[in-house]
Order: sequence, then C-alpha cells, then structure tokens
Amino acid sequence: MNKTKLKLIIASVYATILNAIFVTVITVWAELSLPLKDWLKGFTGHHWTTKSIFSVLFFVLFTIIFFFILPARENNLRWALRCLIVVTILGVLALTLFFTGHHFTIW
Amino acid sequence: MEVLSFLQSKPVLIGLHLGFAIVGIDAFFWLLGKIKDRNGSTKSRVVTAAVGTLAFVASWISGGYYYVIFYGSLVKPVIKQGLAPWAHNIVMEVKEHIFLFIIPMAVTIFFITLLHDDEIESFGIRRLALVLTALVIALGLLIGAMGFVISAAARWGAIS
Repeated sequence: MNKTKLKLIIASVYATILNAIFVTVITVWAELSLPLKDWLKGFTGHHWTTKSIFSVLFFVLFTIIFFFILPARENNLRWALRCLIVVTILGVLALTLFFTGHHFTIW
Repeated sequence: MEVLSFLQSKPVLIGLHLGFAIVGIDAFFWLLGKIKDRNGSTKSRVVTAAVGTLAFVASWISGGYYYVIFYGSLVKPVIKQGLAPWAHNIVMEVKEHIFLFIIPMAVTIFFITLLHDDEIESFGIRRLALVLTALVIALGLLIGAMGFVISAAARWGAIS
C-alpha cells in the first residue's frame, strides 16, 4: 500500500470540503454585507475573480497542511469522501435557496 | 487578426468555455465507465482524469474572462431589464459560484486515479469514487443547462 498517495487523497478530499464551505459562506456573507463585497471587488477588480483566486489558494494551502498533519487511514478516507459528497450537494442547495430567497426579497 | 485578440473575442470565449466544459464532462463520463467496469490501466485512468481536469480549468479561465470582462457590462443589464431578471439573480449567481466547487473535486478525482485498481478495492472506495465522479458530471451538466437558460434570457431580453 502506498501511504503517500493515500495521504495526498485524504488531504485533497478535506481541502475540497473546506473549499466548498468557504465558497458558500463567503458568497452568502458578501451578498449580505456590502463592505465585504466591496473589499472582494477592490482586491482584484471583481468579487468573483477574488473568490476564484482565494478558492485556489485555499485548496492548495489546505491540501499541503492536511498532507502533513492527517494520518493515512483508509476509514478516514471513506468518511471524508462521504462528507465531501454531502457537503457539495448541501452547498449547491444552500446557494440555490439563498439566491432564490434574495431575488424574491425573502431575505 | 492577432491570435490573442481572436481568442479574446466574445463568441470565441463562449465557444471555448462551452467546448472545454463538454470535453471535461465527457472525460469524466469516460472515467466513470473505467472505474465502474475496472477496465483500462492506472495510466489510462490518470490520463483521462488529467484531460477532464485540465479541460475544466480551461473552461473556467475562458468563461471567467468572458464573465468578468463582458458579461457584467453587456449581458447582465439586458437580462435584468428583460422578461426574466431571475435568470441573472438566481441562475447566473448560482452557476458562477458552484463552478468554484468543480476544480478541487476534479483534482481530488485525479489523485484517486493515481491508485491502482487493487488499492481502490482494498481501500473500499470504488463506489464513493463513482459517486464523486458522477457528481462532477452532474454539476457540469447542471452548469451547462444554466448557461443555456442565461443565454436564452439574454436573447429574449434583447428583443423584448
């Protein structure tokens, strides 16, 4: 068994989970907080470009961190993959519900 | 016309965005079959996942460039003043953000393809790898459908 590959996959899965949470939270937060959205715009000229760059940096940084701190356990990988699938679906649903509510001025 | 200015023109950017996305979706469909049926070598799975991931990255860059440079000033006002402002307020907003989920997911699947078939089996992740790959495909198709709705809203917005 190759422990390095297992560690890399586990690190990547957890970083992907954090990325999905980060994108969802920063997007909703920026829609509700004009100063944050202006700050994101000011960083690169467009809020989406800033989120894209932060998203990539976030993923790379946490993949490296998790690679060195998380143990290479097979059951950890299975659990993390299940989490990733659930978090991704919840992220899509959360963004859809949020922007739908925002459009109809529910919030 | 210079190659760079040709690549930066609006129809070409849209075409590249869609074309690369189709390549990405197809590559991950292909990978889905390879993982499910346990056929193909590790190298063939790695190459297929790499093609899919790079195609999604190219789609992200070309679509992102179009979105940042042209969409906000030219397309968004037409949609917002047209028959379906929700196409921007809901569909485009969701589309542009869930796209940011895809690249890390694709990279993760690429890392999974580095495993040999017996390792995928011994780690007990074949089914989860299939579901994750299917999720990337589903998100790609969803984003494609959203793009169609946004384009249609812009067309109808322009003639209404």
